[in-house]
Amino acid sequence: DYTIRAVANSNEADEDYDGLQVFKSYVEAASNGAIEVEIYMGTQLCSNGAECLQGVADGSIDVYISTSDGASGLFPYLQVLDLPYIMADDRVAERVLTGDFTRQLRDMTLADSGDTLRLMTIGNTGGWRNFANTERQIQTPEDIAGLKMRTVVSDLPQELVRALDASPTPIPWPELFTSLQTNVVEGTANGITDIMSMKFPEAGLTHLTLDGHAYMGAMWWMSNQKFMEMPEDMRMIVVDGFSHLQQATFESPKRKSIAAYEAFAEAGGEVYVPTPEEKQAFKEAAQPVYEWFTGSVDGGEEILADFRAAVEEAEQELTAERTRDIQ
Amino acid sequence: MIRIDGVIRPLSWINERVLKAGRAVGIAAVAVMVAVTILQVFCRYVLGSALAWPDEAARFCMLWMTGLMAPTAMRRGGFVAIDILPTMLPAFAARVLNLFLLLVSLVVLVVALQIGWSEMTGLGGRFASASLYLPLNLEFSEWYRIPRSWMMASLPVGLVLLISVGVELVLRNIAALMGHDVSLLPESEAETGIQGVD
Amino acid sequence: MLVWFLPLFLVFLLIGLPVVFGMLAAPGLLLWLNGQERDLTLLYRNLYNGMDSFPLMAIPFFMLAGELMNRGGITTRLVEFAQALMGHFRGGLAHVNVLSSMLFAGLSGSAVADTSALGSMLIPAMEKQGYTRRFAAAITAASSVIGPIIPPSGIMIIYAYVMGESVAALFLAGIVPGALVGIGLMIVVKLMADKYDFPVASKRYSWGERGQASLKAFFPLMTPVIILGGILLGVFTPTEAAAVAAVYAMFISLFVLRTMRFAELPDVLGRAGLTSAVVLLLVGAAMSFKTVVSLSQTPQMMAEFILTLTENPLLLLFLINVLLFIVGMFLDAGPAIIILAPILGPVFTSMGVDSVHFAIIMCVNLTVGLATPPMGLVLFVASAVSGERVTTISRAILPFLAVEILVIFLITYFPAISMTIPRLTGFAN
Ligand code: NA
Ligand code: NA
Repeated sequence: DYTIRAVANSNEADEDYDGLQVFKSYVEAASNGAIEVEIYMGTQLCSNGAECLQGVADGSIDVYISTSDGASGLFPYLQVLDLPYIMADDRVAERVLTGDFTRQLRDMTLADSGDTLRLMTIGNTGGWRNFANTERQIQTPEDIAGLKMRTVVSDLPQELVRALDASPTPIPWPELFTSLQTNVVEGTANGITDIMSMKFPEAGLTHLTLDGHAYMGAMWWMSNQKFMEMPEDMRMIVVDGFSHLQQATFESPKRKSIAAYEAFAEAGGEVYVPTPEEKQAFKEAAQPVYEWFTGSVDGGEEILADFRAAVEEAEQELTAERTRDIQ
Repeated sequence: MIRIDGVIRPLSWINERVLKAGRAVGIAAVAVMVAVTILQVFCRYVLGSALAWPDEAARFCMLWMTGLMAPTAMRRGGFVAIDILPTMLPAFAARVLNLFLLLVSLVVLVVALQIGWSEMTGLGGRFASASLYLPLNLEFSEWYRIPRSWMMASLPVGLVLLISVGVELVLRNIAALMGHDVSLLPESEAETGIQGVD
Repeated sequence: MLVWFLPLFLVFLLIGLPVVFGMLAAPGLLLWLNGQERDLTLLYRNLYNGMDSFPLMAIPFFMLAGELMNRGGITTRLVEFAQALMGHFRGGLAHVNVLSSMLFAGLSGSAVADTSALGSMLIPAMEKQGYTRRFAAAITAASSVIGPIIPPSGIMIIYAYVMGESVAALFLAGIVPGALVGIGLMIVVKLMADKYDFPVASKRYSWGERGQASLKAFFPLMTPVIILGGILLGVFTPTEAAAVAAVYAMFISLFVLRTMRFAELPDVLGRAGLTSAVVLLLVGAAMSFKTVVSLSQTPQMMAEFILTLTENPLLLLFLINVLLFIVGMFLDAGPAIIILAPILGPVFTSMGVDSVHFAIIMCVNLTVGLATPPMGLVLFVASAVSGERVTTISRAILPFLAVEILVIFLITYFPAISMTIPRLTGFAN
């Protein structure tokens, strides 16, 4: 009775696809076939955040996954999730994103999109963003200084690279392999699965530092109209479907990254894990990014405070649980 | 029959002038595209520090170049087509066919304009551009972030111009069918200069 | 149901609707009949977004570079250089014609530009030396197809963009096939020259004179070195290389050779912009078309159909070459790539044909199609610059076409011809 047309701009090897498979399987079974889910991977229907979200708003697409950067042109405050070194690890991130902070973001984005875009859940796409480069092993912020780092054309990642005294260099994704190979740029900030799916080590990208500066959050949007048109029992099924999808995208990158790290090593890649002191140094060096965020994003200060509070709460709960679990 | 001439002439006059202005902007846009791309190479390779905005600025110019110059190409008959059939048919039949083809084109353009307008004024147009700002005062202390709709407007504007050209061509065709002595393409545009990518 | 957009598109095309409107009207009409009105928005969105691409900007840049070469008297110097090297052979000017085309190909990405620039100079010169006009026009047209095979190449930029391939890989893969076409044509010229006793163009140049000619041609001949060298050394990306080529051409014709005046610049920019606008609109429409191609599952159906013909990939490649050749007889290379690459490319890559290899087969085949009757763009241009009738040139060009077809099959069945350079430089697997 209902057909949900879901779009992800990645390919079938991506965790987005895994999430959608879980969503489709759950929703179709739980609704006893009343809801059908059509999955469109890649750029067949639309090819970037602005375009696809417009599609969700006007009803030509029902479900779409964007990164926070992809939606930041409309909701600048979503970049709060891209601020470096705030969430420490997967457990913290997962707890924050399954909590009320996501609901708060949903209310804000619904209001700002005239009740058209409904943020259903935030999962993960690609694990954590790390610095990788073709030149040298990076252990401290000083090591990254002077490198030409590829970034998307977007303020926050550029501010971060600048804060580390490196040079942010915008290169379109399709041209990145060639640009790494020919040293037009010397480094990137990507997750391991993206690095391997693009075969970047073959272009010389062999030094990877697991600084984990950003959690690669995946925002799952649904047309609010489509959602609200459904009766409440169906809505419940969809909501549960997104919860399963979220769990699947939390796990999938962890599983996929094992093979990706092996392949990275096989291709001659070296992985460096910074010590807590080194990570602290990165965090301090990244301070200007927070100032940029609170200074230039409307409502930045409030949302950052809320985010920090959510993270702190999650950390406390986790600490309590961990303390009991090890006894 | 006097009426159709009376419509073609002013429309042709308007198209001629508007498209000429469009070409002038298009020429400037090509120049800017080249300039900012070279500037980016210079900044990145020589100064070792890339700029954020040239990529988007160059695309901005390219889109407007296309929107403003494609109508001239249409008016000069420069859109690629297989014209074996029209050249094989007798003159009258060829004109009827040509009229039909123009009407199909016009339908495409009008539908596209409708969609384009709602796209431009919709949510997608409200997205902020990633790197393009306009100074709000002469001290360059305040900047306005250009919304994506400024870029998206290039296509609807181009479609309006294309429709205007399409209407002129249709009228010329009808006039020719009615036996008037008008050319199907404006004579002033005889020099095509359009070769295609091949 | 949706799949009927393809035959409908063919009908639109054959009755003479401009390709760009056909690519929107046929899928649009079917979506509408199918009750998928909301998907019409997708067509529009892809039209716009298809044009909104930085890598695509190489097209206006290379167009501009080509226009500048044409105006800047650069052609003259290339021909003089070719003459100094090969003018003393029997059939000298015919060889010079082919060699000039190969040199010009390194500067320009278009066969039409090649024909009009070299033809207006060499056809009269050949006639004066006693060649028939139809032969002069035919060798000009036949050799100009090298233009888009040797990099840079407009149609390869389009192919790379529409299919998500690396421009650098396609450029590098085109070098040897382009040279092979040139050598093939020179062999035909040599055989004909001995048989029909062609004139020699000039006395043998002394090495001093050759040095002088190369010095004069030095700046133009540096263009391909700058383009490919710059890309390989990481000074700029392929797209930026196109802008550099344009500025370089502008610089040498304004300041070094001084064969162009500043006042001519707006006109040159205008011509490049006008041509690019047409091409970009077409590429945008192609991206819309491609959306409906995938919505309607055409590649899968096409693959199934093709596999019912034969499962032998060698035979399939033969058949596809025949198909492309026939398409090339009626359609220009750019639009043909835009229409067919999304449909055929996935079929062959899924059968294990390397995507870069297939791209080159397609590009070379369709480029040769520019010189085949009845609808060969360069035949028309050659006819216009020579004053010879298209049918006459069409007959005279047959021996040259034969060798070009032979090269197409060599490229098809010996992947190493195209793939070695991109593999050695690491741009292809
Ligand atoms: Na070329
Ligand atoms: Na030639």
